Amino acid sequence: MKSVLIKRFLLACFLIVAASALTFALVAAAPGNVAALIAERAAGPGADAEMIRKIGDELGLYDPLPLRYARWLASAATGDLGVSLRTGKPVAEEFAARIPMTAALLGGGGLIAFLLSLTLGIAGAASNGRLADRVIHGFSLVGASTPNFFVAALLVIVFSVTLGWLPTFGTSGFQSWLLPWATIALFPASVLSRVVRVNLQEAMSRPFATTGFAKGYTRSSVLLREALPNIAIPYLTTFGAQFTLMIIGSIVVETVFALRGVGAFFIDAIRFRDFVGMQSTLLLFIIFFVMTNLLVDIICMLVDPRIRRARSA
Amino acid sequence: MTSKLKQIKDWPWLVLSPVVIFVLIGIFAPWIMQYNPAAQNYDATLQGPSWQHWFGTDYLGRDIFSRIVGGARISLVAMAIVLVAALAIGVTIGSFAGYVGGRVELVLISVIDIALALPSLVIALALIGILGTGYWSMITALTLAWWANYARMSRAVVTAELQQPYIEAARVMGASHIWIFVRHILPHVLGLVVVYASADAGALVLAIATLSFLGLGVAPPTPEWGQMLVDGMSYIEEYPRLVILPGMALTLVVVSFNLLGEAFALQKVPRPVRGGLLRKRRRARAEEEQARQAAERKAASA
Repeated sequence: MKSVLIKRFLLACFLIVAASALTFALVAAAPGNVAALIAERAAGPGADAEMIRKIGDELGLYDPLPLRYARWLASAATGDLGVSLRTGKPVAEEFAARIPMTAALLGGGGLIAFLLSLTLGIAGAASNGRLADRVIHGFSLVGASTPNFFVAALLVIVFSVTLGWLPTFGTSGFQSWLLPWATIALFPASVLSRVVRVNLQEAMSRPFATTGFAKGYTRSSVLLREALPNIAIPYLTTFGAQFTLMIIGSIVVETVFALRGVGAFFIDAIRFRDFVGMQSTLLLFIIFFVMTNLLVDIICMLVDPRIRRARSA
Repeated sequence: MTSKLKQIKDWPWLVLSPVVIFVLIGIFAPWIMQYNPAAQNYDATLQGPSWQHWFGTDYLGRDIFSRIVGGARISLVAMAIVLVAALAIGVTIGSFAGYVGGRVELVLISVIDIALALPSLVIALALIGILGTGYWSMITALTLAWWANYARMSRAVVTAELQQPYIEAARVMGASHIWIFVRHILPHVLGLVVVYASADAGALVLAIATLSFLGLGVAPPTPEWGQMLVDGMSYIEEYPRLVILPGMALTLVVVSFNLLGEAFALQKVPRPVRGGLLRKRRRARAEEEQARQAAERKAASA
């Protein structure tokens, strides 16, 4: 068990290094280099080739690519991500201020998606083909197809403009978080409720469910006691995938509701061609994706004795 | 007669129809539009729906109905270009990896896996940051973000198909690698990948709209749903119509593509290819069924 964990962790580290190397090489290949950009900001459009060369030399831009990548990764590991070309502040400082915002968004949204998908999925399976099941199916289909910026707009129209209950943007207290959370949770909740529903139905036709019925349990108690624990693995796997996809949701939601999180920083970096900010945000995203997947794998191993045994064997 | 009915039920026609409508509107957009979607008219800004302007006009006096119809065309064309390009790249790289095998396969698979470690849209965003904003850089970025999935699928099919005895037979008979691949393996690859792509089209329409919404895709004068929506956001309090109409159009298209994908997943239509093959398979199935029934009758009467 322990050796499997170590192996997984090393694999995750390798994936982080490989993926960040790929993005580093891509950004380094971008037309219009960092030195020229800095020189232009410092001296206006009249920056001459001499100045650009000097700045480039200082930044070590003319060294071979692998050396530059190693240097960048080493300083990133010590927490020095460089200075944002857009804001002129250290990227690490920006992240320190912005990560809590995005974490709150993802955490709240993830929790809502978790609770909502289980409730809807179980309710759908319990009603099994009757009206409630079909309504939930329709809801999950529409929820998985509506673009999240449109969801945000509709929620603003209903709850802020028409009813006037909730603020349109900003972060003043709990109320201002409700619309962003609802927006970001709708898509994963829809997809996940479908996963719960389909897998519950499948589990109900398995021998252990029949055994449960033979023991005289009611349908709902077979559903909750026998079938529900058995959908843990597909549910957790999909939840992990959806949770990583919520990063895209956070980019859109932070833009719409004017939240100053990492996603908004990323979009600004792209718009202003802030290569340093882009590079750092991509590294952060990669770490988030790989670590979420690793965590899901570990939880699955802990939850399911079959996987635990198969992998340690 | 029953077999005819069954044939119709075999294909998700009902589900297909909204997709067909979207494609038709996209193709015939120039004839459906009543106005030039980019034409501004300061005498008729922010008008409500009327006979002249079915969906009203926006803050520059542009006809919203024409802009939505024009938007269908933009989405359709961009989606088709990306899908075809991503398919071509993915199938080529994936099939090559699967067919050649060995170290080449290992390297290509690692590249594919690394590309799949990040969500496609994040890759597309990063590429737009590098390439700059604009229509063609959006198309390039989406293509480069979308090919990896198809590559992985193609490789899996090629690897599985290579195990089949008929490949060995073809080789014994002296068929060249190119012949074996094009004649025997490629149809299997395309069959699976095209089904997946038809369901994936909805995600792509969504991605195009999202990028334009973020101001990184289709630029303002061109009508595009995501960009119309972000344009309308400033008027959301007085004229929610400007936001709701393009949003509805977008949602309808994505819902219909997702329904199509679900229908495929449920029916497990394996290779929707040429009609001939489909008919042949159905005939075989019907004959099998008849033979089974005949055997049952025989057993019952005996």
